[in-house]
Amino acid sequence: MDSVGWMALGATILIASTLMDRLEQQHINPYTIPGLLPGLLGIAMIVLGGLLALRSWRRGGVKRPPSNPTAQDRAQRRRLWMVIALCMTFDVALVGHGLPFWLAGWIFVTTSILLLQHATRKAAGQKLTARVLLKAGAIGLGAGLAITLVFQEIFLVHLP
Amino acid sequence: MLQGLSELGHAYLGFLNFTSIFYGLGGALIGIIVGCMPGLSATLCIALLTTLTIKLEANDAILILICSYVGTLYGGSRTAILLNIPGTAANAASCADGYALARRGEAGRAIGIATSGAFTGTLFGVLCLAAFTPTLAEVALSFGAYEFFWLALFGVTMSGSIVGNDPIKGWLMGLLGLFVAQIGQEGLYAHNRFTFGTSELAGGIALIPALVGAFGFAEVLTTLADPVEKKLVELRDSVLPRFREVAQYWRTVLRSGVIGVLTGLMPGVGEDSGAWMSYAAAKATTREKELFGKGSIDGLMAAETGDMASIPGHIIPCLALGIPGSAPSAVLMAAMIIHGIQPGPMMMIEHPQFVYDVVAMTSLATISILIFGLFLVKPLLLVLRIKRTVLMPIIFLLCTVGAFAGASRLFDIYCMLGIGIGAFFLRRRGYQMAPFVLGLVLGGLLDKSLRRGLVLSDGSLAPFFTRPISIGFATVTIFTILLYAPAFKALVRRITGAAGRGIGSLFGRASKIKKEI
Repeated sequence: MDSVGWMALGATILIASTLMDRLEQQHINPYTIPGLLPGLLGIAMIVLGGLLALRSWRRGGVKRPPSNPTAQDRAQRRRLWMVIALCMTFDVALVGHGLPFWLAGWIFVTTSILLLQHATRKAAGQKLTARVLLKAGAIGLGAGLAITLVFQEIFLVHLP
Repeated sequence: MLQGLSELGHAYLGFLNFTSIFYGLGGALIGIIVGCMPGLSATLCIALLTTLTIKLEANDAILILICSYVGTLYGGSRTAILLNIPGTAANAASCADGYALARRGEAGRAIGIATSGAFTGTLFGVLCLAAFTPTLAEVALSFGAYEFFWLALFGVTMSGSIVGNDPIKGWLMGLLGLFVAQIGQEGLYAHNRFTFGTSELAGGIALIPALVGAFGFAEVLTTLADPVEKKLVELRDSVLPRFREVAQYWRTVLRSGVIGVLTGLMPGVGEDSGAWMSYAAAKATTREKELFGKGSIDGLMAAETGDMASIPGHIIPCLALGIPGSAPSAVLMAAMIIHGIQPGPMMMIEHPQFVYDVVAMTSLATISILIFGLFLVKPLLLVLRIKRTVLMPIIFLLCTVGAFAGASRLFDIYCMLGIGIGAFFLRRRGYQMAPFVLGLVLGGLLDKSLRRGLVLSDGSLAPFFTRPISIGFATVTIFTILLYAPAFKALVRRITGAAGRGIGSLFGRASKIKKEI
């Protein structure tokens, strides 16, 4: 499966490099065309992808039956996609659209801690308490304010 | 020679002031704290600190980064000893013996040995840094486009071969890094490559956001995907460094120091190779083989000395050739460029004092870890009690700031996200990030060197294979690739016989022990 992806990527790079402008109207030296190295990299990727496919075929990788995920695997996968969704929402929707960074940070950190702790506690048969909610809110606010203060005010780094 | 010593003395005197000592100790402390937290790497620490120190003077900023680099690797041993989880990849070799000692109630002793090994290892590396960097830079002055082409290719090939257990996957990651480096305006004619007409891609994929994604966001995902919190071993005995044991195991210290520096010189190999090879060499020569993995002082000393000695080792090619020895040194190199210092052969001409400044900075970092090893072990362990579910969202917040701060572009944040998610899934499938990083750093050099070389030779490939230094690099690179072909490997074994078995078995043994542990 990996090998097919690598070979496809290599072929795409090779085709794009071949079709790339050779700057003939600028009368450049033909050995310095911009697509030279990318084209060679594409060829190398196809060759190595092919070797990967050959090795996998020799080891019987194609015939291997798919493994059945356990309940733990499923929980881990759910948790992973939740974290990816949280991080993408923060970076794509909250940051850089007018919301102050400390506020965006507060919302993100608090929500993440609560959702992650909820998942852990649910597995242990426990519920989120008011104390946990308050603690998460305080940590989120502290993190948002501290990062803004240190980066923007002390070290004069521009924040999104 | 005398001029070098005078510049070195001048560099040491230049750092003997309150501000430099404060920055040095602060950088080392941040590094130790980051190193203590499993999942946070030296690369992430340096990348985040690069953005934080962007407005400081060049020497102050680089001092903080070098001290944090040394501090992170030293701090990682605490987690290895007390939790049996390496704080950074380089500390994995310390887990078996360190944790075994901790479970016997000798956690303090193990930390003391780690401190003394780290101190002597870094000190040995600093001596090599001072002695070899100017010489190597002078040799590199004779390099032309052909030599740099092979050097870049050699770096990616070596990194792909040694890091991880699968050279094909390593080389593919190297190729991917080289390709990503081609995105944007190319260096000769400012022609846009693979930009799809977008102005953001014309600037290329910046190194810091890419590294923050590959080593920061990917680590956040890895850590949060596995929610198990491990229990800390109690610390009861003294944590003072054991210099008597350094004297007792001086052969191990010296051997590991040499191995650490030599592995550091290899491009993109990483600090963990220094640790594993030193550990394997110690196991091969010791009289107490049965103790290895069960609390061997020799093993722990070898692993810690090897990984710490490789730090100055990684800085040597970074300064002299402009080729980073590891992912953290790649960020360090990027930080130097941001602050107007271009590492490479011209450094000894343009900024001759800077090489000696780096030696002084690394010495200060060595002293800093000794100070924290003496006085701040127990309070720093409180960091290990912070829950991952609390820590990781804050780390992601820092990753976002780190990706954005360099160029103030939202596009860099999206790059960090994309590369981070990609790196996470690739790592799960056994692909290593070090060759990718090296490819990303060396892609521009490879492209320019190839095309300039072809212009100079009017399209002839002969100079790539006939100039003396080119022949050396070309032979090693092609040999490394061909070694993967079973028929060629068998032929080499038959020819070299016992002579080559020594070095080969060291590599083999290191990866075997790595797999066992």
